[in-house]
Amino acid sequence: MWGCKGRVAAPSALPPAELQRAKGQSAPSQQSTEPEATVPAITIDKVTKRFLAPGGQTRFIVLDDISLIVGDGEFVSIVGPSGCGKSTLLNIIAGIESYDTGTVTIHPRVAAANAQPRIGYVFQSPRLLNWLTVEKNIHFVLEAQNVPRSKWPDLVAKNLAMVGLAGQERNYPLNLSGGMQQRVAIARALAIEPDILLMDEPFSHLDAITARKLRFDLMDILQRAKPTILFVTHDLSEAVFLSNKIHMMSTRPARIFKRVMIDIPRPRQPEDARVVELEKNLLREFFSVVEA
Amino acid sequence: MPAKTTERRAFVASLRPMLPGALTLGAGLVVWQLISLAYLPVFFPGPGTLAQRMIELYGEPSNYVVVGETLWRIFEGFLIAMLIGTVLGLLMGLKRGIEIFFDSWIMMLLSFPAICWAFLSVLWFGISQVAPIFTIVLIVFPFVAMNIWAGTKAVEKDLIAMGRVYKAGRLLLLRKVLIPSLSPYLFSSLRTALSLSWKIALVGEAFGVGSGVGQQLINWFQDGRVDMMLAWGVSFMIVMVIIDLLVFRMWEWRVFAWRPRFAT
Repeated sequence: MWGCKGRVAAPSALPPAELQRAKGQSAPSQQSTEPEATVPAITIDKVTKRFLAPGGQTRFIVLDDISLIVGDGEFVSIVGPSGCGKSTLLNIIAGIESYDTGTVTIHPRVAAANAQPRIGYVFQSPRLLNWLTVEKNIHFVLEAQNVPRSKWPDLVAKNLAMVGLAGQERNYPLNLSGGMQQRVAIARALAIEPDILLMDEPFSHLDAITARKLRFDLMDILQRAKPTILFVTHDLSEAVFLSNKIHMMSTRPARIFKRVMIDIPRPRQPEDARVVELEKNLLREFFSVVEA
Repeated sequence: MPAKTTERRAFVASLRPMLPGALTLGAGLVVWQLISLAYLPVFFPGPGTLAQRMIELYGEPSNYVVVGETLWRIFEGFLIAMLIGTVLGLLMGLKRGIEIFFDSWIMMLLSFPAICWAFLSVLWFGISQVAPIFTIVLIVFPFVAMNIWAGTKAVEKDLIAMGRVYKAGRLLLLRKVLIPSLSPYLFSSLRTALSLSWKIALVGEAFGVGSGVGQQLINWFQDGRVDMMLAWGVSFMIVMVIIDLLVFRMWEWRVFAWRPRFAT
């Protein structure tokens, strides 16, 4: 129905050899080459998508043979320049865009008989329904996901508190600041208790100070709720600060050219020497590929 | 007392913004009165004469029945036109096939002379209740359909995508995303439809019903009584403005409660 072929991809989908070390790193313990023995939450196996160029016969490749695994409870980032197909990949996982070859499998945490995996999505802009109160915006997704009504009050209260918006239930989105609106969007995504949470540059529309605050709060949420997150960004330092794993993408070809595991323990500080060092090394490598 | 003086000053100051409007209104009435002096009151009544005629109208109980009949016809025609127009507009916005099929039909209906419908409906339905309602529906629904159709096209695709990502069903999307997005268009349609409906209703009544405000107008027209025609016209206009203010403005105010209002 939404592109899941319903099979668990073989471990070979992600050759361990691709999990390289970052070159020139100072502390080897920050990254490891060993693939963790986690239960997969998302398996993407050799996914390719082409677009027909408007007017012409030529097809250009948006995603070229992309494979990656997001383990249960992991925070995985895809970093790439704009137009590299990162958002397209998220939309494919969310089931609102098609692809040409390969398989995408989402593994529900609770293996019920006919359980549909639950997908939370935080977009670049909050995408709230401005005519509904904060509370009713969350009710909207709960209703969409057929969550029993009796659970709604608790889920709303818990997740609004989680993003620091307790007491804003009856407020309308347009009375909130941009940062607060994005917090509502995060609470909405968490409220459905998602198997996976997709985040598409969720902080890129915010000012630097608000974005920094939200990153800290997201880090805090990670400690408490342990969601599985696939995070797309063009901001490498953001990715290093937040992630367990980073996949770096290039535009042409639209491929993953490097995979990095980050072992720096959480909670992290953006100014932490290990974070800064890793960021510096990755940036150098990133631009050497992207600008080539 | 100084306190009282400041209070009075504040009151006078608060009236100041209304001053230009009041002045032009007053000047208009004076000019109107001056012109009317040159004519017979039945041919060109002055504001005083008109007010007097209107008071006479309000004193006659049977006139309320006349207005009631017309209002009921307007309501029926307006409701049917709104229903057909909204449903068709939605379908045209959502389904490409329906859009292609009705596109040219809507354009043709919009361009067809309104007066033709009024005459045709009399020929087809005779002197009956159906004739004016039929006329209203045929003239009003294409406007509504076109407006709602444009509104459907303007719904934010991002919000629909959000709904689909969260697996919202069609009905939920319609209730919580599509219809609220359309509400500005719905309100503008409601008001346009109402003002169109009442104008057409009077024309329809004048031609082929034998009752209602339209009939009154044609009777006074045959007697050459401009003063009575104006008295009816202005009175009816007041009724429609009150309905617009009481029903639509207040409803609109409630529906758009989510829009932030700037403190005054």
